[in-house]
Amino acid sequence: MERETFISKFTALAERIKQTYGVNLWLVEVLGKRHSYVAGHKEDSFLPPEPIYLNDRFAVVSNEWEKIPEEERKQLISFLKEDLLK
Amino acid sequence: MFLNFETVETQSLADQIIKENEIERYLEKGRDFINDEEIWEKLNKHVEPDPVRVREILAKSLAIETLEPDELAVLINVKDPELGEEMFATAREIKKKVYDNRIVTFAPLYCGNLCINNCLYCGFRRENRVIKRRVLTIEEVKREAEVLAGEIGHKRLIVVYGEHPATGAEYIRDTIEAIYSVKVKTRRGYGQIRRVNVNAAPMSIDELKMLKEVGIGTYQVFQETYHHETYAQIHPKGTVKHHYQWRLYCHHRALEAGVDDVALGVLFGLYDWRFELMGLLYHARDLERKFGIGPHTISFPRLEPAANTPFVQETKYKVSDEDFKKVICLIRLAVPYTGMILTAREPAHIRREILGLGIVTQTDASTKIGIGAYSDRYTEQELERQQFQIGDPRSLEEVIRELAEMGYITSFCTAGYRCGRTGERIMDLLVKGKERIFCKLNAVLTFKEWLDDFASEETKKVAQRVIEKEMEELKGMVPEGVYQKLLEYYQRIENGERDLYF
Repeated sequence: MERETFISKFTALAERIKQTYGVNLWLVEVLGKRHSYVAGHKEDSFLPPEPIYLNDRFAVVSNEWEKIPEEERKQLISFLKEDLLK
Repeated sequence: MFLNFETVETQSLADQIIKENEIERYLEKGRDFINDEEIWEKLNKHVEPDPVRVREILAKSLAIETLEPDELAVLINVKDPELGEEMFATAREIKKKVYDNRIVTFAPLYCGNLCINNCLYCGFRRENRVIKRRVLTIEEVKREAEVLAGEIGHKRLIVVYGEHPATGAEYIRDTIEAIYSVKVKTRRGYGQIRRVNVNAAPMSIDELKMLKEVGIGTYQVFQETYHHETYAQIHPKGTVKHHYQWRLYCHHRALEAGVDDVALGVLFGLYDWRFELMGLLYHARDLERKFGIGPHTISFPRLEPAANTPFVQETKYKVSDEDFKKVICLIRLAVPYTGMILTAREPAHIRREILGLGIVTQTDASTKIGIGAYSDRYTEQELERQQFQIGDPRSLEEVIRELAEMGYITSFCTAGYRCGRTGERIMDLLVKGKERIFCKLNAVLTFKEWLDDFASEETKKVAQRVIEKEMEELKGMVPEGVYQKLLEYYQRIENGERDLYF
């Protein structure tokens, strides 16, 4: 999938998660040891950021994963992974 | 790899390297943002500042707002000792408000000293025949990183390169990758370099994109002097570095390339320090205005002796220790959110005094600036291998212990860079005073890592008191859930886990 299309899909999903669960999700690009912010809602709490890697290049980060029901979280990650493969 | 001194055709190189269209796009009405006459005019206009105005400006700094050039000119002209004390007190308060009580430490790693330029003040200048020229191979770079990460305990480096085709963007890329690949077992965990900052010549946007791809930390380039005429005199015509604007706009190009942490600096002693301070402010403001991102750090090295370099003794702009302290205070007030780097160029007694002011945020230690100096393990300074003479060669442990005795916590934090907290996102946190909480949490965790892996029992005793004090303060600063997480992470580090952060 085109990078821009993927980012815009991610942004919409992150917005929906924010509206539903009040949880911030943001997308980072893995560049060496740097995780470079790409899109989404950045943290506004001090809890540690926990990345879930979609592939070698991208990760989704949140500091409140546990507030998203486990099944939905799995679906979200698998949906994003599939999108990256397209 | 030892290389013979060789002459390169610098003019043709300048033509290849400098891309005029990557300068012109930032100019306004064909001019850069440093107007020498305007700067002097402002400095001369405010020679007798009104104390009321001074205090209004200090309040603005304290609100973490970048000053206007006229406002900095007012502060530069303050001579009243009482007002001066207020300025230092405000600078101290700002540092605490933005970065809390931590001092980040790092080490320089010089990868090569070949240079096509001929800067009058620099030991590495092309025509300086007494310098032993050398460029590290990638294996040698790894060996340096193994010592720095595995024996000394550094997590953050500033890697330094001369301007030469042998150490161009591709070499820099390869060295960054090599450094990140190093992982060394330590007493309780493992050591790794987690952030590679780069001090190198100005590059094109495409070259900077290449460095972004491999995870460059901060891209640091010092303008040396902002004064056009002085710049032209000390960077001889026909060299790449002679081009003032190619250098001036390299941070703009970096930000355009997506490298969102850039660092400014001046080599104090080349021209009048008051002018240079104004230049730094204009530079920071132009970056803020065009990109919404100001300098991640500002450095303020003073000229130091270098092998076969008489310019250093001859300059009439040497900055006295008293003026140097003012310079540091004024940078904090002018660009309140920025990190400030005090280096081991300065002797230990000056560093002690300046760190005691509570204004700066970063310092280096265990510093060696000879090419291959860490893995060669030589201890004496050898000027013919160095760009200049360092003033404070103390070990990281000695510096850390002294900082702890002064009540500071040493931090090895690289967290912002590891989770997307850079560029405009960190700017927002800095300005709102939220970043200090991240600084404090991550300082505790990374200091704990270092103590477990590298410290002597004597240092641990002093340091433990600092950690306890910091944790006690955090208890009252963060929500209970965050504090519990801190305790959990602290225990996990105790058990040998590494690289946990907020």
